[in-house]
Amino acid sequence: MRRTGVLLLGLVAWELAARLHWLDPLLFPPPLEVAAVLMGLFRSGGFWGHVRTTLLEAFLGLASGVLTGGLLGIGAAIFAPVAEVLEPVMALLNAIPRVILAPLFVIWFGIGVASKVALGFLLVCVVMFFAVYTGIREVDPRLVDRVRTLGGRSLDVLREVYLPSLAAWLLSGLKVAVGFAFTGAVVGEFVAASRGIGYLLSFAQSTYNARLTLALVLLVVGVILGLFGLSTALERRWLRWKPEYHRAPSPVPSTAPSTPSAPAARGVRPVERE
Amino acid sequence: MNAVEVRDLVVEYGAHRVISGLSLEVPDGTFVGLVGPSGCGKSTLLRCIAGLLRPTRGTVRVLGAPVVGPPPAVGILFQEDALLPWRTAQENVALGLKFRGMPRSEAQEEALRWLERVGLGAFARHYPSELSGGMKKRVALAQVLACRPRVLLMDEPFASLDAILRQLVERDFLDLAAQERLTVLWVTHDLEEALLLSDRVVVMSAGPLAHVVRTYEVPFGRTRDLVRLRADPRFADLLQAIWEDLRREVARMGWEGAA
Repeated sequence: MRRTGVLLLGLVAWELAARLHWLDPLLFPPPLEVAAVLMGLFRSGGFWGHVRTTLLEAFLGLASGVLTGGLLGIGAAIFAPVAEVLEPVMALLNAIPRVILAPLFVIWFGIGVASKVALGFLLVCVVMFFAVYTGIREVDPRLVDRVRTLGGRSLDVLREVYLPSLAAWLLSGLKVAVGFAFTGAVVGEFVAASRGIGYLLSFAQSTYNARLTLALVLLVVGVILGLFGLSTALERRWLRWKPEYHRAPSPVPSTAPSTPSAPAARGVRPVERE
Repeated sequence: MNAVEVRDLVVEYGAHRVISGLSLEVPDGTFVGLVGPSGCGKSTLLRCIAGLLRPTRGTVRVLGAPVVGPPPAVGILFQEDALLPWRTAQENVALGLKFRGMPRSEAQEEALRWLERVGLGAFARHYPSELSGGMKKRVALAQVLACRPRVLLMDEPFASLDAILRQLVERDFLDLAAQERLTVLWVTHDLEEALLLSDRVVVMSAGPLAHVVRTYEVPFGRTRDLVRLRADPRFADLLQAIWEDLRREVARMGWEGAA
């Protein structure tokens, strides 16, 4: 609530400042005008084609990156030689700003969808590799022992221990990956494209159209926030065992002095040791 | 018959030898306490019996059958409880039953009965992170006992509990173990505790190259009271003898001061 209030206050202040010409409305267009531009875009027929293109690129980049990064992560966690080769490569790719490869991808794959997907793929793949690789290596070996001594087979160990412990890493990796998939798509379009939100952004910039630029930025932020909401819902479902997702303050006494004597009270007959 | 039989056990991690020619017998239905200096390979021994670790040489038999993987007749309680954090108390207890092919709903019902037996029926739907340390121990105990093991291995299972809670949990555990007619092999650091709860106390040598130094029969019968036991001169003698053994072992390792 407080955050919403501050945001609203900021927007109102901005609106007033622009209307009163304290800020140059050409550079800092008032929020209401930006909103009007955005509504105008939604109503125009050609706009949705651009949105579809960007969404498609982001989705393809995300899907291919998650799949490849995940599989490489599993491979590296299981086979030490794979890790030896992959880890330094991934660490290097992780350290450099990967978007510098965008121009190269345009040369290789053309100005169509492929070069944007390639960029998104590269961005996402590295993130997911580390999420899965770390996730598997961080699995508590005591839990594996526990399941095995209770009679669990390899498949049980996978289902009961590996997949659930991986879920937390996967989700946090996915959150970052979604943002990166859009970065890949939009930045790729920025460099060279004939369609997409990045293309529109680049057009808006070249015509000094701050209103259109802000409207497009707002749109991308909106889409990402929506996806974040989705992943938070998934987290609440998959990770409800984590203390931070507990439904309500738990009725557990902080120290449980009353419970140890409970079995006797509940009718388990104590064996006398006299 | 021996519930557990270990013959000439040798365990090496690479070039590093941990256990050197250890032999041990646990007669069916007895409580055997295992004491020894820290790091003497007690946990390693338990892991071999539980089928989690393949010995370099020697044989391990449980109820007459050689151990190749975790034997279904063996339950093990670790020093640090390892409940699955993403499963509720009830689901955790049902786990072993599910692995044994019991239908889900039936396993859940049976699990609830076991939780009630350890006094946690009201906490069936709680996740481990919502339970206190003592409660988690009880869930772990229910989880292991629900599988109806004949042999129970315990690696200082109550060491992380504070003294009072520990006594209460131990007492409950003994009741349950007696009801289930379990054979128990357990590791402890507390000599009085070992004498109070065991039929036989085995002293292990200081590692590396761990082996059995001596075995003491505890002559007090099964039902004991610590206060009364302390007054018994035989108790003091046994305690003294075991203590001397341990002191020698620790001194042999060259850090007597740490004892």
